[in-house]
Amino acid sequence: MANAPVIQVQGLTKRYRDLLAVDHVTFEVQPGEILGFLGPNGAGKSTTMRMLTGCLPATEGVAKIAGFDVFEQPLEVKRRIGYLPENPPVYPDMTVASYLRFVAALKGVSHGKVNDEVERVAHSAAVGHMLGRLIGNISKGYKQRVGLAQALLGDPEVLVLDEPTVGLDPGQIIEVRNLIRSLAGKHTIILSTHILQEVKAVCRKVLILSAGKVVAYDDLEALESKYKTPERIASLEEIFLTLTGEGSAQLQPAANVQHVA
Amino acid sequence: MRNAFTFAKKELSVYFTTPIAYVMFALVTLIGSFFFLSLVGQYQQTSMFYMRFNNPEVMNRLNFMDMVLMPLTVNMGVIFIFVAPFLTMRLLSEERKQKTMELLLSTPVTSAEIVIGKYIACCVIMLACVVLTLVYPLSLQLSASTSAGIDWPTVIAGDVGLFLLGCAFMAVGLFFSALTESQMVAALATFMTLLISWVLGWRAQEAEGVMKDVVQFLSSTQHIVSFAKGNVDAKDLAYFFSVILFGLFLSHRAVEAQRWS
Repeated sequence: MANAPVIQVQGLTKRYRDLLAVDHVTFEVQPGEILGFLGPNGAGKSTTMRMLTGCLPATEGVAKIAGFDVFEQPLEVKRRIGYLPENPPVYPDMTVASYLRFVAALKGVSHGKVNDEVERVAHSAAVGHMLGRLIGNISKGYKQRVGLAQALLGDPEVLVLDEPTVGLDPGQIIEVRNLIRSLAGKHTIILSTHILQEVKAVCRKVLILSAGKVVAYDDLEALESKYKTPERIASLEEIFLTLTGEGSAQLQPAANVQHVA
Repeated sequence: MRNAFTFAKKELSVYFTTPIAYVMFALVTLIGSFFFLSLVGQYQQTSMFYMRFNNPEVMNRLNFMDMVLMPLTVNMGVIFIFVAPFLTMRLLSEERKQKTMELLLSTPVTSAEIVIGKYIACCVIMLACVVLTLVYPLSLQLSASTSAGIDWPTVIAGDVGLFLLGCAFMAVGLFFSALTESQMVAALATFMTLLISWVLGWRAQEAEGVMKDVVQFLSSTQHIVSFAKGNVDAKDLAYFFSVILFGLFLSHRAVEAQRWS
């Protein structure tokens, strides 16, 4: 595909007084790609995503979604984005169905199509049988999936998913990963996580952030081969720990690392 | 503007799925009935008194409007000072507390639509409270031996004034709700502001000259007195509409500020 990148980010920076939360981050995502956002807690993943979705103004830099500048034409950008924030933005006093209908209306889904659209995303996120329940009464995993369903409403071009599998049980994690994989191609997706397995399972390209800076931005395979030594193939865990400066020279076994993640 | 109605619909459904609206209606009618019954009791005593002295001149001047319904409308205005903070406190502060503001900021809606939508919802509840107070003139009408007692245009004028007063209170409450994450702080700040606007009227009795006019004009509950007497005064309309517009303007600025911080 020779199309222009759907997401273009150049020199994006967020400064809170003395704290540099995101430091000149630059990347591009091609149509239909899934980009994995990696990084330890507090690396600036969520901040970057919030700036991309227009929830937070950048101190510096440019972010464009489908050719529209996030800061100059926010409404155009928001029509093309589905965003799942870190905490699923749900109202405990509403039922799943009324919540999804509410968000669908906000996203400009036309009146006649709202019910079909709600049905569709509820099915995709596997909350179809929960539609009549109050959100305040369902489990964390279901809230997370309702949040995901909400992001899918209106079939947006770009999906920004901040840790979509947090709080899910192993079976659900696999379902959600399959869902995200099936969305690739049609949607352009940015996915943040600190579960490294997940990146391997879903993403082709990764961007590793550490203390607000991009420390790696490459195809997963290219990244792995870059760190290949004659004796052994470095795992993503090792690469991650080396790049983020969290690992010692003697790397821990992968199993433990996953536990930490 | 469609989005504003989406917000209004959602807020109204929250008012009615949670106990807020029901508790509000119950309390307003409970306290209203207390005032009503004591005013009717006073009316009865006064009429008995003058009847005993066989004073037809005074008897002719005694009527429900001056003795019961007019003071009742003014009293209801004071009751609204106590209920208004509870209607508005969660409107915007809860969005911030529950992190659902991110949803609103990342969907294609403007701050004006958020503010106006929520404002419409609480004004509808206010309108319902005012309509409930019609029960008092209605019960007098039904139990009066002659139908001369109730002057309906005056009753309606009084209720219009009461509704506008309620709307002005809602605008103040919405503004404080936009300022803070804490519902408690929003409610307290609203309550204090409204309370001051009421007790300011007491000062007016002591003040003199220009000061008296200024203080009297600033006092919120003073402005329904002429409504209750059946006079719709441009001065009072100007007061209510400027408070409403100013409150909405400030709320809009406060929500807009969240996009830029």
